[in-house]
Amino acid sequence: MDKLSDLRFTMESCNHCGQCKWIMPAKMHGWDFSEMCPIHAFYHFDAYSGQGLLNIAWERLDGKLEYGDGLEDLIYSCTACGACDACCKVVRDMEVLDTIYALRADCAEHGTLPASLLETAEKVQTSHNIYGLPHAERFAWLPEDFEDDPDADTALFVGCSAYRQPEIALSAIRILKAGGVRFKLLREDEWCCGASLWRAGMVREAGELIRRNVETFRAHGIKTVITACAECFGSFRNGYPRFVETDYETLHISQVAAQLLEDGKLHLRQAEPLVVTYHDPCMLGRLSEKYVHWQGEIRAYGLHVPEKQWRRGEHGVYDAPRKILEAIPGVTLREMVRNKECNFCCGAPSAATDPELARWTGEERRREAAATGAETIVSACPFCREALDGDSGPDCVDLCVLLARRLCEEDVQ
Amino acid sequence: MRIAEHIYREFAAVVGERYISDKEYILAGDRAKTPEYPMEYHSADIIVLPASTQEVVEIVKLCNKHKLSFIPFMTGALPYAYPNRDGTVIIHLKRMNRILEIDETDRYTVIEAGVRHIQLYPELRKRGLCYPPAAVGPGGSVLANMTSTDGSNHVQHGFSRANRYLLGAEVVTPEGEVLRVGSLQGDAGWFCPDGPGPSLRGIIKGYSGTHGQFGVITKIAVGLSAANGPAEIRSEGISPNHKVYMDHPYSRAYVFNYPHIQNVCDAMLALGEAEVCSTVQKYFYLPLTLMMTNSANEFWEKWEGGYKDTMNMPLVIHIAARTQKEFEYEEKILFEVAAETGGERLPPELENWWNEHMDYFMLVNRLQSVLRLGGGWMPNKIGADSVQHMCDVAEAMGEYIHEYTDTGKIFNAPESYQIIPMEYGHFAHIEVLFMWDRCKPGVMKGVGEFRARSRQEDIDRHFHSETPGSLMPATMDLGPLYSNYHLWLQRLKQSFDPNNVSNPMM
Repeated sequence: MDKLSDLRFTMESCNHCGQCKWIMPAKMHGWDFSEMCPIHAFYHFDAYSGQGLLNIAWERLDGKLEYGDGLEDLIYSCTACGACDACCKVVRDMEVLDTIYALRADCAEHGTLPASLLETAEKVQTSHNIYGLPHAERFAWLPEDFEDDPDADTALFVGCSAYRQPEIALSAIRILKAGGVRFKLLREDEWCCGASLWRAGMVREAGELIRRNVETFRAHGIKTVITACAECFGSFRNGYPRFVETDYETLHISQVAAQLLEDGKLHLRQAEPLVVTYHDPCMLGRLSEKYVHWQGEIRAYGLHVPEKQWRRGEHGVYDAPRKILEAIPGVTLREMVRNKECNFCCGAPSAATDPELARWTGEERRREAAATGAETIVSACPFCREALDGDSGPDCVDLCVLLARRLCEEDVQ
Repeated sequence: MRIAEHIYREFAAVVGERYISDKEYILAGDRAKTPEYPMEYHSADIIVLPASTQEVVEIVKLCNKHKLSFIPFMTGALPYAYPNRDGTVIIHLKRMNRILEIDETDRYTVIEAGVRHIQLYPELRKRGLCYPPAAVGPGGSVLANMTSTDGSNHVQHGFSRANRYLLGAEVVTPEGEVLRVGSLQGDAGWFCPDGPGPSLRGIIKGYSGTHGQFGVITKIAVGLSAANGPAEIRSEGISPNHKVYMDHPYSRAYVFNYPHIQNVCDAMLALGEAEVCSTVQKYFYLPLTLMMTNSANEFWEKWEGGYKDTMNMPLVIHIAARTQKEFEYEEKILFEVAAETGGERLPPELENWWNEHMDYFMLVNRLQSVLRLGGGWMPNKIGADSVQHMCDVAEAMGEYIHEYTDTGKIFNAPESYQIIPMEYGHFAHIEVLFMWDRCKPGVMKGVGEFRARSRQEDIDRHFHSETPGSLMPATMDLGPLYSNYHLWLQRLKQSFDPNNVSNPMM
């Protein structure tokens, strides 16, 4: 993980143009749904934005700003959704989100992490999941007659959400089985992916867990990790390479399912018409690009030597979920204004640190979804699904749950 | 706490606890130096976020009562928005962000200060209307651009300057009185900024606040034009490789490269005389190359690979006609003028970039790419006069700019200026957008030398191309050339703002 001192060029380069707060012009639509940064849209002060956090990071780096009095609350109210980063990188060569990560690492280093995050870290360390539930129950939902392939070099990494939303895991299994994919589960060897640690700046704790998980993959001979959780997916692709060399491929269940559909290996049944909108999870979309560490020299006029491989959200997983929705008979997809790399966060990442903001962000996203006329919001992340489920308006369903429900029975046998 | 608690409480009573802060980390969000102005600013004492004109009035009155300066603030992209002394209240107007009215019949819209171009422009486009967005990028405040800058823009050949579209304003004066400018004063509507009623447009605006502002402008009306083209804009691709099209059979962009600025001048005048084309601009080739590339490294590859030679004097044209006949006519005139004036059309792969980035003509999008080389940049001159005069200014610059480009004091792009005619060639605007390597120690000395030289050369040559700045040296140099306008403004400022609390820049 980069330190604040690695990111001085970014901090000093910001001209306060405001692009980090607003939707990319290619997606211009109108007055509504034009803000991109949840914390800025909610709190309005510039300090609550990519630009403001760069200023704060710069003052921290130069020893001008001390923790306390609520600074750490501001830092962790940010959902780290990366909207600022993607919007800035349309026109700039700056690392806004990495600066926010470094600011969090600085916060952790100074022992000023919010209590809720420390609790989560403790749960992960003691129970290997973010909820503090018994590790032995991680696969309690698994049917007794379930059989995986112990010789497979592909693993379905279920993730901590299995405790609270086992239907997602079961649906992923049904899809893989129906498509004839050889895979296995890591069972008691599967621990939390560590997203809540590395994204919170807990570098030491995250590093230990990540190294352990990569060793586990190796011990099981895993070459491909499939996950139905966007947080796990983004962590394996974008987070893990920050700590350790990785030698496995990561696929999201939507990518696998889209390929199975294209290959004619999944068959879907007709059902009632359903108008849906698709919410791109940040960690499946713009934040899932593989991290490639850059070390070098920034020469005159921003020339990076050696050339840097920028992550701008260009190579996120956007098409596969849409292909699936388009393939399901009776389903009509209506896009929200803020979609793909311009996705508006669901708010879930701040649920523990700023519940009020998280609730508002989820409601704002639901309002946008409702504006499309959709009956159902489809997402591809258990955390988004939970955050976007409301009492009124569209319901929210996970993509692989929707797909599994529409599989022909003979395929599922 | 930087100000006394009882004073803080008075402000909090106006906006509510949620919308005021004096916490250091909140203040930090609006006090960082920027690459182009790397000086340390004073910190604001508090930041307030009013939601209405009435709240602004009460804040301004409190500032007068307690002798605190105040600065209305939007993006903070320009240094005029930053405090230059202790005891300053930043009034962030972003919560006042409503589009209050869009009158499709009489073609105007009424907006609050916090409405951004990215919000207003597409909203109008849905109704077949548009206005010329200032060249500040999509996140800029429409009100700030219309009232507090010169309003130059990239479509002014066919549209004129943005501030000519200002139809009226509601202003909270430096002492907290609500002033309605123009026809609005008599509740006659927003149709005219200059009466019946007081015409104070030139006074409230000035250039970059003219030694400090005359209060807070809270609402404006903007005149609108018909938009030729579709209501919905089609885009493709994923960032940063979006393509934005204007699906309209009579819309097309063209780019010609010229051997000399006088040829460009002749072409501009001929196109203006024929009253054809929506956009005509001699563009700056350095920003152009930046806009066409996605990283500093790619920029260097293309720049050194030939862009600096193949399009060093580009004339960018956009035709947005209403009918096939009109389109054919405008295109025919354009090709004839180009042939007569020595314009060489760029290869399709370079010209098509414009047709695939129509958001540039709508929102001046991607212009922030000019900041990609580390952020050291500055627009210079920014004055306006006849097309020929502006081209003479540009040509004269060639006699001295090499002392700065060849020695590495500024980026080596001596012809990186833009000249944009307005109102079909009746007037033109020049802007020298120069850059420097902000990481180079002591670089600002050379930047200052170039700016001073540029200004002095214009004075010596009797050019009308520098705009009076807000800094004392520029004003002292240029003031007499502008009939000592600055002295008049100082007197007006003293009358309107006896406590000198409204962004007292001097």
